[in-house]
Amino acid sequence: MRLWGVEIGKIIETAGAWLLGALWLLPVVFALWSSFHPAEYSTRFELFAPLTTENFVRAWSYAPFPRYLFNTFILVTLILAAQFVLCTLAAYGFARFDFFGKDFVFALVLLQLMIMPEVLLVENYRTIGELGLLDTIPAIGLPYMASAFGIFLLRQSFKTIPKELIEAAQVEGVSALGILWKVYIPLSKSTYIAYGLVSVSYHWNNFLWPLVVTSSVNSRPLTVGLAIFGAPESGVDWSIITAATVMTMAPLLVAFILFQRQFVQSFMHSGIK
Amino acid sequence: MSIISLKNIYKSWGDTEVLKNINFECEDGELLVLLGPSGCGKSTTLRLIAGLEIPTSGIVEIGGKDVSDLPPVKRHISMVFQNYALFPHLNVAENIIFGLKARKIPKKEQKKRLENAADLLGLTDFLDRKPSQLSGGQRQRVALGRSIVAQVSVCLMDEPLSNLDAKLRQEMRQEIRSLQQRLKMTMVYVTHDQVEAMTIADRIILINGGVIEQHGTPEELYNYPATAFTGSFIGNPPMNILTPDTQLLQACPSILLPSVDFTAPYLLGIRPEDIEISSDSGMECLVELTEYLGADTLIVCKVEKHSITLTVKGRVAVSAGDQLRINWKVEKIHLFDAANGQRIEHLKGATP
Repeated sequence: MRLWGVEIGKIIETAGAWLLGALWLLPVVFALWSSFHPAEYSTRFELFAPLTTENFVRAWSYAPFPRYLFNTFILVTLILAAQFVLCTLAAYGFARFDFFGKDFVFALVLLQLMIMPEVLLVENYRTIGELGLLDTIPAIGLPYMASAFGIFLLRQSFKTIPKELIEAAQVEGVSALGILWKVYIPLSKSTYIAYGLVSVSYHWNNFLWPLVVTSSVNSRPLTVGLAIFGAPESGVDWSIITAATVMTMAPLLVAFILFQRQFVQSFMHSGIK
Repeated sequence: MSIISLKNIYKSWGDTEVLKNINFECEDGELLVLLGPSGCGKSTTLRLIAGLEIPTSGIVEIGGKDVSDLPPVKRHISMVFQNYALFPHLNVAENIIFGLKARKIPKKEQKKRLENAADLLGLTDFLDRKPSQLSGGQRQRVALGRSIVAQVSVCLMDEPLSNLDAKLRQEMRQEIRSLQQRLKMTMVYVTHDQVEAMTIADRIILINGGVIEQHGTPEELYNYPATAFTGSFIGNPPMNILTPDTQLLQACPSILLPSVDFTAPYLLGIRPEDIEISSDSGMECLVELTEYLGADTLIVCKVEKHSITLTVKGRVAVSAGDQLRINWKVEKIHLFDAANGQRIEHLKGATP
């Protein structure tokens, strides 16, 4: 069916895309609007309302945001580094070598993908407690370091590397670890970037587990700090809360804008959309 | 001195036996071609020499040493793969010296060998490019370069030209041959293309169904095919293989046939280029189709239900439906045992 010379299906599709896009964008736009204007304009739209950065200054000084930002930064770096090492080695094992019980072990890894981390909240808390790591940054990261998703994604990526390249390296005398380092890893660069972005954004935004396991400024990440900052008992000042939110998400947003091309490409390549 | 030698090699994948009792030797500085139809086991044989596969039983020797249990790197070989196996993230220079780096050869020596190889292959202007920016022929040269800088005496090639177009294939073929002779490399070369094999080889090993059909020089394979399969595989167009039945024996003057008792089962082989058109003698046949190829013409004719192909120089005024008399010299007939396909000498004093 056609309307004004354009297919109706196409119109609905486009409208739907815009609608979803707008719904997603609305809170972000509100946060930006409210954070850059004085409190009296926070819920009122006026095109020429005066701009201000005072909200940011106040938010920055009201709560230890620099410390939270530092904690989050350490946290995501730690998790990402550990994930890269562990997932690479595990994926290499699954992709290249045959060993007894390989399929069974891989099925176990996939099984882990289907378990919501929140289900294990209590059990994880007990384990971390027994390790004596409560209220530390490694405690937040530890449950996520052996990521089933990472193992799966890298294994798929490794499997697409032509066998001839591996054999060529073998003939030239490169060791098993050398082949991983010189052939598999460089050829899976885009997968690493994509996985890195997913991991960083997930752990940057992760809230429930850090809330449970942390109890002091020294280990609290941004999300938890922000929640405490915005809790009703500390009084609701939307301008400051949105300013703090913008500060929280800004580094991630910038990274995404910079890397979006690789990000999309990699997911196209690995066939997961 | 034989530098590569395979002794009683068997290889099975599960229940299927892909190589049965392979025995051959390759001399120093020789270009040995492993030829055969696809799936015959020729690539597997090469991979066994390389150490990328392990034989089910049997011994592989390189340079007089048993290497059956050694990994590829300890066998002192280089290998060129069908799809070139160039690393897409490295440029031409890095690709060529990849193996030298892995073997921790001094930087200075690496540079020298790289320059040498690049010069030899005409790659000097492309050293900074990535493989994706090269043409097929250039990629092939890079793969060759990797093999040259290794400076090992044995080079293994797995269908190196199969991804190139016909013209480039011919050029590269000549280039590989002259390179091999200049550098005095021992080369084992796998191909399914008999023209490639005939033009490039010192000696050819023809493999079919996992067994060696014949091992010899191109001339030997062409002139004295050991089996009916060799006869039909070598040569273009292929040899006519006829099963003599009463109809054919009646139609064919006895002077054209070897003097054997045809009550036993035989196969007659005759090359298209050994058949001539005759005006007064020979066998009557009916032209079925003709193909003009420029330098010569290919004629397919029928005698009863037998189809015979012949080639004649230049253009001939023959067209489908014409009657024709064809003739050949009886010594051009290759006689094979129909039961096992083995060659039978039917002329006194002829030796392969």
